[in-house]
Amino acid sequence: MQLIPSLDLLNGRVVRLTHGEFASARVYGEPEAVLDALDVPRGARLHVVDLEASRSGRPIETDIVRRLSRRDLIVQVGGGIRSIDDAQRWLDCGAERLVVGTVAASAPALLASLVETFGAGRIVPAVDIRDGVVRIDGWERASSTSMREVFTRIESLGVPEVLVTDISKDGALRGPSFALYRELRAMTRLKIIASGGVSTASDVVSLSRLGNVSACVIGRALLEKRIRLSEITVSNSIPERIIPCLDVRGGRVVKGVSFTNIRDAGDPVECAMRYEAEGADELVILDIDRGTDRDTIRRVADAIFIPLIVGGGIRTLDDFRAMLRAGADRVAINTAALLRPELIRECAEEFGVQAVVLSCDAKDGLATIRSGSEVTHADAVEWCRRAEALGAGEILLTSVDRDGTNRGFDIELLRSVTSAVKIGVIASGGAGRVEDFRDAIESGGARAVLAASLFHDRVLTVGDVKRHLQTEGIPVR
Amino acid sequence: MNVTLIDSPVANVANIARALRAAGAELQVTSDADAIARASRIVLPGVGSFIAAMTWLEETHIDAAIREAVERDAFLLGICVGHQLLFDVSHEMGTTAGLGLVRGEVRKYEGPLPVPQIGWNRVDARGPLFEGIAPATPFYFVNSYAARGAESEVARADYNGAFTAAVQRGRIFGVQFHPEKSSTAGLRVLRNFVQCN
Repeated sequence: MQLIPSLDLLNGRVVRLTHGEFASARVYGEPEAVLDALDVPRGARLHVVDLEASRSGRPIETDIVRRLSRRDLIVQVGGGIRSIDDAQRWLDCGAERLVVGTVAASAPALLASLVETFGAGRIVPAVDIRDGVVRIDGWERASSTSMREVFTRIESLGVPEVLVTDISKDGALRGPSFALYRELRAMTRLKIIASGGVSTASDVVSLSRLGNVSACVIGRALLEKRIRLSEITVSNSIPERIIPCLDVRGGRVVKGVSFTNIRDAGDPVECAMRYEAEGADELVILDIDRGTDRDTIRRVADAIFIPLIVGGGIRTLDDFRAMLRAGADRVAINTAALLRPELIRECAEEFGVQAVVLSCDAKDGLATIRSGSEVTHADAVEWCRRAEALGAGEILLTSVDRDGTNRGFDIELLRSVTSAVKIGVIASGGAGRVEDFRDAIESGGARAVLAASLFHDRVLTVGDVKRHLQTEGIPVR
Repeated sequence: MNVTLIDSPVANVANIARALRAAGAELQVTSDADAIARASRIVLPGVGSFIAAMTWLEETHIDAAIREAVERDAFLLGICVGHQLLFDVSHEMGTTAGLGLVRGEVRKYEGPLPVPQIGWNRVDARGPLFEGIAPATPFYFVNSYAARGAESEVARADYNGAFTAAVQRGRIFGVQFHPEKSSTAGLRVLRNFVQCN
């Protein structure tokens, strides 16, 4: 997976457009200064877009490209390449590769002659897509050619890669268009350079798991220092965890919708053993009585050989210790930590960072306490960030609104937390279909996914979820 | 098979005891140095900090007892921090000498992935401890420190770079992961240890 930093040029400076609108241009500064701040490794590819050229149809920022090409970088230039002469001008400036957009969709003959003249290895056709429709002329017009036809045409030219931008995602930092790249995987054998929306290291890992994405262009997220190139490693084979949750009250498993309408769902030991047999990677027991039912914890811990997280009613260091002694490997704290954040630090110092799970029940972006019944003034993302600084080892993030609804995880909430903290986030609240688990990991950046009623009611088994994730390229145990 | 589990206050001994029993061990759980010195098959657990674990071994003279048992050809298995204690030295909170039973140093993971590592990770392993374990089988890890490329390495995993997931020198074994939390694969490793001869 190659990482390609991107600089969009307008009037001699680096800018970013949102949704391709020129009026929305935000200026970042002189190209060299901007590039120096990005810590681009030697020999890396650099993506340069001449925005004015893409609109006017002739090369404009030739001096800048000449200067950037003198550095130890493989520069690929895009924007306004609509003739052999344009292409030759950019190559004369030192560009190694040419990114050609509009002609790929609207002038197939020219694209073919560019490939013939300069070689397939130097031409990177680019396709800009919005809502399934190919866009041309600096994104301003819709092409009459269908997506499938454009890709079939490009594939026949023998070029190795095609750059695909989902305009609705570009510059929006909401994550790349995984669905589009997945659709293309079925449509073409071309390797994809993904562009648009990449804003976290996890996005890069998720793209690499698709199998047909060979590189990704990163723009705004780098410019705004949301991620650094050195922080991105594509360790995409560490298994992601599936975690069934047992909500326990009075020694019985119960389940409610949005923390209310509680109903009985069985014996915790039987459930726990069944889940381990199904392949659960870890178990969570939340005691919704806000009491610390040590006996139940002990009985479950005695019956399983996978890690156990226990939460609910943990107020003090002594409560925390009692849960560990009863057999918990890790303990989740919520209400007591919000009321007195120092508890996180104290527990981390006493029992180790790995033992402390911050449970954050978010409602409308705010952290809630007492099983979701009381909304606080604490912003959920800020609270998670602070909990990490205080020593939380992982975050169990529950969307109170989605909990028990089977409507899917709150991906936006997940992304906002996973991009704000470095520690792992367990996604919780709303699982309904196998695809929801995929999306929580792929788009949400979660390192583990939790579900309760879905597994209790045997709508899905842990095995069903894992088989689906595997077919989607997401590693599981 | 008789197994002596060292009853360390800085370890979750109950979970390991349960798993060892499930793996077929006749278990003696003790912190008595004399009993450990005479034992033929010893498990050394450990969680928390290296220095706390090593200090406890020294104060109770269990360090000498383990060396004595090893010299008499006892089998030894270190788990997590117990595995780290087998090495020459650890650089957790300053530099602390370990038992020096296997060559190498324990250092903090540095890199882009969050530390501690919490979760399952694939292990490529060989040797009698991993008999019956398929390549790339995941085991459960919780650790901030590890040895890298140890001389006696028999298993390797990758987290912010390759690290030593298990060692073996003769009858001395160590595993960085938690076999007692690694479901059937972990129980198989424990059974292999309990039965090896």
